[in-house]
Amino acid sequence: MTIIDPSAEGRILRIVDIAGGEGVRRRLFALGFQPGDRVECGQRGIFGGPVVLKNLRTGVSMAVGRGIARKILVAVDDAD
Amino acid sequence: MTPTEAREPVVLFIGQPNCGKSTLFNAIAGHKVESTNFPGSTVRHAHSRVVVGDATLNIIDLPGAYSLCPSDPAEKVALTHLFREKSDVLINVVDASILGRSLELTLEILEMGLPIVVALNMLDLAEKKGISVDPVKLEAALGVRVVPTIAVHGRGIRELVEAALEAAAGPRRPSLRPGWTPAVEARIGELVGALPADFPVVFNARFTAIRLIESGEAYGGDFSAASGLGIGTALEQTRAALEADRGLPAYEVLAAERHHQAQKIFEETSVVRRRTRRSFPERLDDVLMHPFIGYVVLTGVFLAFFFIIFKAGSPLEAFFLRPLESAKAAIDARWGRSLWATLLDGLLQGVGGGVAIVLPYFIPLLFLMAVLEDAGYLARAGFLLDTFMHRLGLHGKSVSPFVLGFGCNVPAITATRTLESRRDRMLTSLLIPFIPCSARTTIILALVAFYLGPLWAMGFYVANLVLVAGLGRILSLFLPSESPGLILEIPMLKVPSPRLIALKVYLHLKAFVRLAWPLLIGGSVVLSLFQYFRWDRTFNVVLAPLVSGLLGLPRELGVTLIFGFLRKELSLVMLLQALGTTFQELPRLITKEQMVVFTVFVSLFIPCLSTFVTLWKESGRKIAFLSAGLSVGAALVLGFIVRLLV
Repeated sequence: MTIIDPSAEGRILRIVDIAGGEGVRRRLFALGFQPGDRVECGQRGIFGGPVVLKNLRTGVSMAVGRGIARKILVAVDDAD
Repeated sequence: MTPTEAREPVVLFIGQPNCGKSTLFNAIAGHKVESTNFPGSTVRHAHSRVVVGDATLNIIDLPGAYSLCPSDPAEKVALTHLFREKSDVLINVVDASILGRSLELTLEILEMGLPIVVALNMLDLAEKKGISVDPVKLEAALGVRVVPTIAVHGRGIRELVEAALEAAAGPRRPSLRPGWTPAVEARIGELVGALPADFPVVFNARFTAIRLIESGEAYGGDFSAASGLGIGTALEQTRAALEADRGLPAYEVLAAERHHQAQKIFEETSVVRRRTRRSFPERLDDVLMHPFIGYVVLTGVFLAFFFIIFKAGSPLEAFFLRPLESAKAAIDARWGRSLWATLLDGLLQGVGGGVAIVLPYFIPLLFLMAVLEDAGYLARAGFLLDTFMHRLGLHGKSVSPFVLGFGCNVPAITATRTLESRRDRMLTSLLIPFIPCSARTTIILALVAFYLGPLWAMGFYVANLVLVAGLGRILSLFLPSESPGLILEIPMLKVPSPRLIALKVYLHLKAFVRLAWPLLIGGSVVLSLFQYFRWDRTFNVVLAPLVSGLLGLPRELGVTLIFGFLRKELSLVMLLQALGTTFQELPRLITKEQMVVFTVFVSLFIPCLSTFVTLWKESGRKIAFLSAGLSVGAALVLGFIVRLLV
């Protein structure tokens, strides 16, 4: 699933892959989001607005537009 | 390097966006650059020469860069300087509250082999997040000096400068970066071995090899020409081997290893206390970014912003105007209509206009802007407005340049450098001149709000924003979208630092006094000469069909509209002068409707000289002239429509 999936809300997730082009991948890497990282979905903008994604590993939060959010593939990883 | 007293060490500040680099730089340089709590606010580099004890340092602040593979023009500026300046020591500022991420850049620059001091900044913020970093352990893990600092409180500054001086005088470190896995290390070694003897090595062969592997077509900066330098085949082989090893593109192999190593260092050197409940800034964010309450707050902030500026400004304006008017009356009584009196009048109008009309609104505006920036609210506004920005063919990252535009269009246009796509930069730069900057806010508040009431001014603002939105839609039809969408870091909210805010207001004010006052005063004096010798009539006659015919304004105002190109406030100051009246008596000479038309026209008509020059520099001549054409067109059309409506 991707981070815009309703079932991703409020769960602890693990980034499985970033299904985007090199530009998007590099940008997300630069902000410290890479496959394998545990993340949490935060606020969601209305009318298809952006999604806040918090990296639990690095502590960095970012807002990504829906277009990019759709490319961030995640799996639920609630095990503590 | 031989330590000589004669040579002044060059100290380069480098760090990721929003790590407190500019604040730290300021603490050392003594108030030269601005800092904000928005990723990527330093878009130019800043130089400063400082004397510390008996040493003189040349310090350079670079725009923040997430990594050494640039993806926006601001990062490119940082890297170009990093590679070109002959720096003796690098001060790498890291944000302790997101240490794992910050260290990724540190690991990259460690490969350069230059003397490096790490400034472990924002320790207070880290503590609030429940993170304690052990500087001694970090020093051991990185193999370079680590100095704990809290830039906003000026803590650790002296130690940092001393450490930098020491490192500059010390021996060059060998290129060292622990931790590539043996397989990757071997591939890097192969490429190092394949570098031709005459290859333009940057810093050292190993660093050069790593940069070659990581740089892509568009991300290489100075390295993209590598294929022409006899290394193309070997580079392809190394990349292919890395990709075969891991099943990932070569640059990702390196990025992933670096990411994990940075995390490992962070985990080994820090203690993170688990919290049971969300921290206060996090809970505040739940409100500020709430899908409904968030917009209520945003609207409230926007309304409060202008009411406060108006409430603070208008009594001050009235207060300052009084002595000015009596001085003018005294001059007229004493010298009558002589050349001497006309010149003196012009001078008084210029000085008085700058002090009495502009400053009362300008200072509160600067102050509130600084508060919003420093608290980190702009990133939240970017999040909230992203959806609406999409309607204009842009996204949330353009919100920050737009908001800066309310202060002054010039830094707003430079701030578009943090946008990744050229198309977004162009569109944003074309729209920014339509954002009412502080000069135009002054006119709106001093004229419209002062005489017609604050609600009129508010309406004016809303209409102006609607215009920006409409123009954005139209322009984006001509610029097909290629923008990948929003990726915006949301920094932690913080309590704005009074010191930083005072500093920022001071810096803006200094720039205003230095740049705008000479133009305001000079412009007024020139206009008074024009009037004395009656040259202004020629202008006014030529412009009359436009000024009186189309806009229905007194034809005497023709010349003031022309001068508005220099500074927007100048039109207001000259309005009084041209009509030969005082501010209090103005309503007797022109009607309220005419005031609105005048304000509409002046606000929209042509970007001021500095904005025009900045547009030219940043986006080229075509965009600058296109922007000027758009503004003149919009000013004429809307001025005329407003005249018919009100």
